[in-house]
Amino acid sequence: MSVRLLVLIPAAAAISLALSAAVDAVALPLFLDTTGTVLATALAGPGAGIATGVLTSAVNTLRNPTFWPFVVVQIIVALYAWLAARAGLFRSLKTAVPTGLGLGVLAAATSTPISYVVFGCTTTGGIALTTALGRALGLPPLGACFFGSFVADFGDKAVTFALVTSVLHALPRRTAARFPWALRAVGVAGSAGPA
Amino acid sequence: MSRRHPFTLLVLVAALTALAWILPAPAGGLGTTAAALALAAAAGPRRVLVPALATAAPFWLFLLLLHDVPSTIAIGLRLTTMIASVVWVGALLPPGRLVEAMVAAGWGVTAAYLFAAALSAVPLLKARAQRIVDAQRCRGLSPRGSLGRRLRALRALALPLVLSVLHEVDERALALETRGFVPGARRTPLTPPRDGTAERAGRWLLLVGCAAALAWRIAWRG
Repeated sequence: MSVRLLVLIPAAAAISLALSAAVDAVALPLFLDTTGTVLATALAGPGAGIATGVLTSAVNTLRNPTFWPFVVVQIIVALYAWLAARAGLFRSLKTAVPTGLGLGVLAAATSTPISYVVFGCTTTGGIALTTALGRALGLPPLGACFFGSFVADFGDKAVTFALVTSVLHALPRRTAARFPWALRAVGVAGSAGPA
Repeated sequence: MSRRHPFTLLVLVAALTALAWILPAPAGGLGTTAAALALAAAAGPRRVLVPALATAAPFWLFLLLLHDVPSTIAIGLRLTTMIASVVWVGALLPPGRLVEAMVAAGWGVTAAYLFAAALSAVPLLKARAQRIVDAQRCRGLSPRGSLGRRLRALRALALPLVLSVLHEVDERALALETRGFVPGARRTPLTPPRDGTAERAGRWLLLVGCAAALAWRIAWRG
C-alpha cells in the first residue's frame, strides 16, 4: 500500500467522526458515520475502505463503547461501495441515491441481529423509540428491531452516497486521478480496471 | 492500575465484557458490573464513574421501554459492564502509550500510524467543521427550513470539510516520505511500557478463564 493511501485511511475515518458537527448544525436525524468508509472505497478500493471502516469503529468505540459490535456493518458498507464503484454508480445523483437506499436496507438487515442480540434494540434513543413504535404496530420483536434500524439507515445511507458523489465530482480531475478507483467510480475511466 | 501494561488493561476489559455475556444472568452480569464499576470508582468517581453511569443510564430506560424486567436486568447489566470498563480504559490509557506498546510488541509502524493519526485528526477536523459552519452562516447560509433546504445546507457544510482533507492527503504523504516512513517497517519505541512476566501470565490467565467459562456454559448449562 502506498503512503498516499495509508494517509487517506485515518483521514477518511476522521471525516466520518467529524461530520457530526455539520449534521448537528442542520438538525437532521442522520449519522453519516460511514461517509469515510464509502469515500475511501470509492477512491482507493475495498482494502482501504475496510481498513477505514474498522478504524472508524475502533476510534468511535473509545467515545462510545456500543459502536464496536457494529464493525461488521462498516465492512459490509465497504464491500457494497466497492461494487457500486466498480459499476460506476457514483457517476450521478440519479444512480447514487437509489444505490444508497439499497445499502440502507442491507445495513439495516446486517445491524438488526447485532442490535437485537447484544443491545436488546436499544443502540440509540431514536432507534429504541422507532422499535417501540414497531412493537406498538404489532410487529414481532425482531421485526420491530429491523423496523427501527431500517428507519435509521435508509435515509442515512442515501445521503451518504449523495455526499460522496458530490465530493468525487467536485475533486479536480488531476487530484482524483491520483487515487486508483476515483475515475472509475464516477464512470469516467473504462471498465477494465482501476484508473 | 494506570501503570499496568496497555495490553493488560485491554485484556481486562475484553475479559469482563466477555464474562458478562458468558456467565448466566443475572448473577454473572451483577458480578462483572460490580467489578467494572469498582474499577471505574477507583480510577476517579467524577472522571470515570459518573461518565460511565451517565452513558449507561439511557440504555436502562430504553430497555425498560422495550423489554420485561428480567430481560432489562440481564441485558442492562451486560451493557453496563461493557460501557463502564471501556470508559475506564479510555480514561486510564493514553493513545500514545498504546501505540508505544504496539510498536514494542512488534506491530508494524503502519498499524500504529493509522491509530495515532485517526485519534489526533478527529478533534482537529471537528474544530475545522465548526469553523466551516460559522463561516457559512456568516455568508448567509440558513441551516433551517424544509428538508430539501437542510440537505442543501448539509452539502454546503460537508463538502468544504471533505475536500480540504483530501487536498491535504498529498502534503501529509510527502511529509511522511521525507521522514523515511515506509509502510510495514518496524520501529524502535522511545519509551516502551514495562511488561513483566507476572502481567503476561495474568493476561493469559484471564483469556484461559474466559475460554473455560465459555466451555462450562456450553457443556453443562446449555
